[in-house]
Amino acid sequence: MSKFKGTKVMFVAVGIVMALTCLAGCARGSSGGKVEVELVSYKPEAVGAFEKIAERFNATHDDIHLTIDSPNEAMTILKTRFIREDYPDIIGIGGDINYSNFLDADLFMDISDLEEIGTVKQSYLDMDKELEFIPQEGVYALPYAANAAGILYNRDMFEEHGWEIPKTWDEFLYLCDKIESDGIQPLYLGYKDTWTCLAPWNALAVGLTDSDTCNQVNMGNTTFSAAYREVAEKMKVLLGYAEPNPYAYGYNDACTAFARGQSAMYPIGSYAIPQIKSVNPEMNIGSFTFPANEKEEDNVLNSGIDLQFCIMKDSKNKEAAYEVLRFLYEDETIQIYLDNQGGITCKEGNFEIPAELEGMRDYIEADRMADFQDHHYPSEMSVDAMIQTFLLDNGEDCVDTFLKRFDKDWKRYNRDLIRKVQQYRQETEDAE
Amino acid sequence: MKKKMTNRDKTFLAIIIPVLVLFFTFNTLPMIKGMIYSFTNYKGYGSYDYVGFRNYIDLFTDARVWKSYLFTFKYALAGTVLVNVLSLIMALGLNSKIRFKSALRGIYFVPNVLGGLVIGYIFSFLFTYILPAVGDVFNIGFLQNSILASEKYAWIGVLIVGVWQAVAMNTIIYISGLQTVPQDVYEASMLDGASKWKEFWKVTFPLVMPFVTINLVLSTKNFLMVFDQIVSLTKGGPAQSTESISYLIYKNGMDGGQFGFQSANAVIFFFVIVAISIFQMTVMNKKEEQL
Amino acid sequence: MMKKVQKTNWILTLILFLGTVTIFFPLYMAVIIAFKQPSEMTNDVSGALSFPSRWSFDNFRQAMEVTDFWNSLGNSLLITLTTIILSILIHSIAGYVIGRGMAKKKSFRLIYLYIVSGMFVPFSILMMPLVKQTAQMGLGNRFGVILLYLVFYMPMNVLLYTGYLKNIPVALEEAADIDGASTWKTYWKIIFPMMKPMHATVAILTALGTWNDVMTPLVIMSGTGQNTLPLAQLNFQTQFGTNYNLAFASYILALIPILVFYIICQKQILNGVANGAVKG
Repeated sequence: MSKFKGTKVMFVAVGIVMALTCLAGCARGSSGGKVEVELVSYKPEAVGAFEKIAERFNATHDDIHLTIDSPNEAMTILKTRFIREDYPDIIGIGGDINYSNFLDADLFMDISDLEEIGTVKQSYLDMDKELEFIPQEGVYALPYAANAAGILYNRDMFEEHGWEIPKTWDEFLYLCDKIESDGIQPLYLGYKDTWTCLAPWNALAVGLTDSDTCNQVNMGNTTFSAAYREVAEKMKVLLGYAEPNPYAYGYNDACTAFARGQSAMYPIGSYAIPQIKSVNPEMNIGSFTFPANEKEEDNVLNSGIDLQFCIMKDSKNKEAAYEVLRFLYEDETIQIYLDNQGGITCKEGNFEIPAELEGMRDYIEADRMADFQDHHYPSEMSVDAMIQTFLLDNGEDCVDTFLKRFDKDWKRYNRDLIRKVQQYRQETEDAE
Repeated sequence: MKKKMTNRDKTFLAIIIPVLVLFFTFNTLPMIKGMIYSFTNYKGYGSYDYVGFRNYIDLFTDARVWKSYLFTFKYALAGTVLVNVLSLIMALGLNSKIRFKSALRGIYFVPNVLGGLVIGYIFSFLFTYILPAVGDVFNIGFLQNSILASEKYAWIGVLIVGVWQAVAMNTIIYISGLQTVPQDVYEASMLDGASKWKEFWKVTFPLVMPFVTINLVLSTKNFLMVFDQIVSLTKGGPAQSTESISYLIYKNGMDGGQFGFQSANAVIFFFVIVAISIFQMTVMNKKEEQL
Repeated sequence: MMKKVQKTNWILTLILFLGTVTIFFPLYMAVIIAFKQPSEMTNDVSGALSFPSRWSFDNFRQAMEVTDFWNSLGNSLLITLTTIILSILIHSIAGYVIGRGMAKKKSFRLIYLYIVSGMFVPFSILMMPLVKQTAQMGLGNRFGVILLYLVFYMPMNVLLYTGYLKNIPVALEEAADIDGASTWKTYWKIIFPMMKPMHATVAILTALGTWNDVMTPLVIMSGTGQNTLPLAQLNFQTQFGTNYNLAFASYILALIPILVFYIICQKQILNGVANGAVKG
């Protein structure tokens, strides 16, 4: 028999490995009778607020245990987990193309029976509707916080020099020249991180183009070459007022530089405020809508859903997840989040607009807002890197090259989507 | 006809079968699956359709994919040549009659034990802040701007870090190659009055040729698969000028919803690597025979 | 014949010593930045190169907290050590069986080629299907990573072991066979100990590869709450956003374990690597 011992030992060895793996795999699960609810948020910068919220939730709920994760590169991690079919109960993401894709892949639960939906400002529910590739029945996300993008400025510096807030593109250029002649650098850009290129891009685009440009292109009514030319040209103009070689510095570097007074303005969204304040807590930050147009009345504030919560269809704890959403939507909880992150709440009611965004109040109250255009760009098309490429291109016809590529790539990356949308339209027409 | 299996054969089978099962399950099977996914428009989640050869056709018309191949080959070629020249020189130095030989060898190997990711972060800081500062002081124009921010030269920054780390391993391999050269060969050549330079090309180099083959194949493969340095130094930028194939597959396959398309890319990449390795080995074998 | 005694080449020694600056300079920068405070970071050269005003370990303590250092270190150790031990046990016997079988049977020659050709398979092609597969099998965790390493390093290690085996005469086993010992016993009693130099090489090459690997744990384990040391660096990068000093402290922390190990086992590591090259 001894010769078979070898095989046995071998199998035992492999068996042990397998068993250990299984142990590790099975160890996760319920903990002590409580229902585990896992929330993954895509905002690592809000980790402090979420820790506080989770703590409060767990202190007041005996039957549910809430874990909130906000990892770095959360979108990649989330998608990797979706590939693994390992779904959290709730995810906190932005109102962007990812939401559209996940919804299209049928990953979300319809939460229209959650009473909190009734307290969401209508404009944000509409924004989510616009993100649906194919119109869906029901509500799939609870909009939580919105951001606004434009220009942040160093208020003390402005007061000291008596600079005025510009209302038109010409005034803006005049201001930049003036700041420069006062020996200060007007803008700081962190273009090493490609996504930062999208901040001024979006802010300009909402003012200069229709909010449904992407849809119009999909329907064949216009081209990006026509719609984005002015945006592209103005992006180039900004470079002249920024630090030399902005491609050397990332978002973090730019926030730090602005916080330390190395520039008077910083074209970015309200989401950067906590980061800037972490470097310089005393900083007096102001903001204004990007003056993209020649006439003030044409300007539009760039604002979109920065954070919304969706329950995964796969979640086995619907009731518990609803309880978490209810808790998150309590005024007190929202206030914790806003105090930490700034931004604008998506809930009806009397919430303060943060002091930093005071300069955008008129636009917010008049609802002169439009969603980020990049919320409609497919992520694999990497429009951010395309913009960076364009900005680095000093050729004479760089604008044409860029816009041509934009139109061409758009068709390729949206091929399946365009077909799907057209098919859907065909079907609905046939049905009529 | 068939001989009865001996006990030894049985033991062999009992060992090799689980090993083969393991290898098949986690190497061959996923490879086959990858090939199947390459014919779909799968995003990684949700439903998907088979799209025939569309992904492959797209690959050949996709400027970004071409760019990544171009970058990766440029990088691998420059890296392989540089690393092998440098490490052969290092090995000759470290193998000659010097003091503190083992200490020096030990120091020069350090970069190889350190992780590429963390080293990348450290160098990224040096490139962004320290070198431009040095450039400012001495007024050296090309240093004044961060090399990583230049569309033209960022790949050189990545190359410097890649070479810095890779030289160590190849040096050690060359040293062990040099040690296989028997001393009396040199003594013989010295009697002939051959110059050092001639001695190297006529005597040493042919004898370490097998090690050149190993090093070329190893470093080409490693450079072709560059990933860590890209993540930590440039994230593929600026202007997508340093997107390596591995990075693009990871980035767009996992994050960008191009699971199917990037699977096709990976399949092509696999054949490219196999082809290059086979090519290198046949060419080098011929060279070895000639010498 | 007169043996010629070569003189020490001092000039070369000096040049080689000066060359070590290329190794030490980046590490020196990393260390001093890790000890400095954000306020000490200046943009002029002399300021950047100077020592910190105070050698305080605050940055390190904070970095340890942020990256959950001990946990990540534990995971890295667990993964690397288990991989090494299992590699030596499983790959050596696989190498033995294939090496000996190859001499007699064509089928084993095919198996050898099949496994060794796995060296050319880039991780990129396996990555996406493996993410799905490991998850479905409940292996999206540390043990899945170990199992994958066992498979990824199998081609190289089998190559090394079969290569080394050629130096061990079959006669030894045949003698043992006649004495009535089973193949299994003969292997562990006689052959396994004889392959010791190769075990060291395999251990070192496998360790260097697994310890610093980012990609496998990144796609297999991310989101499980467990990190390896490199993964922790990647995951907490944004939290260091504005504080390079903290970030560098964490880099140093990540580098220290392998550096210490290298300094202790330097000789064995260099020999092991060289051995792998000669035999491979």
